[in-house]
Amino acid sequence: MKAKYYSLLLPVSVLLIFGGCATHTRYVETTGPRTIVTTDINIQDFSYAAEDMIKTLLASGALDKTQIQPAMLAISRIVNNTTQQVDTDLLIKKIRVALNQSGKALTTTTMGVGGIAEDPMAQGIQQEKEFYTDKKEPQRMPDFTLSGKIIEKRDRQDDVRQVTYAFQLSLTDNNGLAVWEDEKEISKQSKRGVIGW
Amino acid sequence: MRNITQSILPACLVASTMFIFTSCTTVNTVERAVPVGTKQVIADKRVITDDTLKRKVSIISLNEGMTPGGFLQVQIEVLNQKNSMQDFSYRFEWFDMNGMRVDTPTSVWIPRQIEGQETLSITAVAPTTTAKDFRVKFMENVRDD
Repeated sequence: MKAKYYSLLLPVSVLLIFGGCATHTRYVETTGPRTIVTTDINIQDFSYAAEDMIKTLLASGALDKTQIQPAMLAISRIVNNTTQQVDTDLLIKKIRVALNQSGKALTTTTMGVGGIAEDPMAQGIQQEKEFYTDKKEPQRMPDFTLSGKIIEKRDRQDDVRQVTYAFQLSLTDNNGLAVWEDEKEISKQSKRGVIGW
Repeated sequence: MRNITQSILPACLVASTMFIFTSCTTVNTVERAVPVGTKQVIADKRVITDDTLKRKVSIISLNEGMTPGGFLQVQIEVLNQKNSMQDFSYRFEWFDMNGMRVDTPTSVWIPRQIEGQETLSITAVAPTTTAKDFRVKFMENVRDD
């Protein structure tokens, strides 16, 4: 009887040890409320900023003032002034997609900062098409450019640390006037644990 | 033993009173007695599955308007009936004329904080001019603090 228990003890304890150490990985909805929050810029922070900025941009009616609808938008420089290496397209792409879906603006992929096109093939096709059609009219220029900056500010008081990310965007028309500007700030606080940080 | 109880009891009373008063911070408000702006309040249908959340985020009114570009704009006024700060999240969903959901990259659960007895206005703009209806979901904070 005792021997039977001993023979069971080993597999059970092995299962307990290794089962307890197993990593549980699951899918979470990226836009859902169960994503991880850290003091870094998290994926949901870009979504919060984009949601807020799209809301004010569409409500402003700034994109409705062009002669040809939908307005043509070019993406200018988006500066990352944070201590983290983040791809600013995590913010800008959401705004571009939302504007595209809204029907108010279309983004050009053949123009970019420093003459570098986002899509070089599309730029080549466009140039070739213009050459063979012997186009006399100048190419349509963007009605607006979108530029911006992401800024990080860190503060500390006793064992509480606070980090604020400021997402700033400006929509400039082809007269050089910023016709819409917005800033969305996201602040996070964390408390130092008993051991480490 | 009796002496110990007699000395601990007042200390406990003071501590609990202090805890109650320090954890309850409510908001006082002032506004124009007769508002100039008139809200276009709309009738709403509510499905309440979390009564605790209902007290934390109580929906007062729902009004809508149109942006200059023809987008539906919605504003929800909520009140925290509790005396302490509460966390909650909300999400807007938009629907077209056929009741089909309009998918948008900006449809996210947005976390908010509301102070005790504070009234908060939550606004949203439809992602397209074809979005005619909406649904708003509220949820308690499910993230670990």
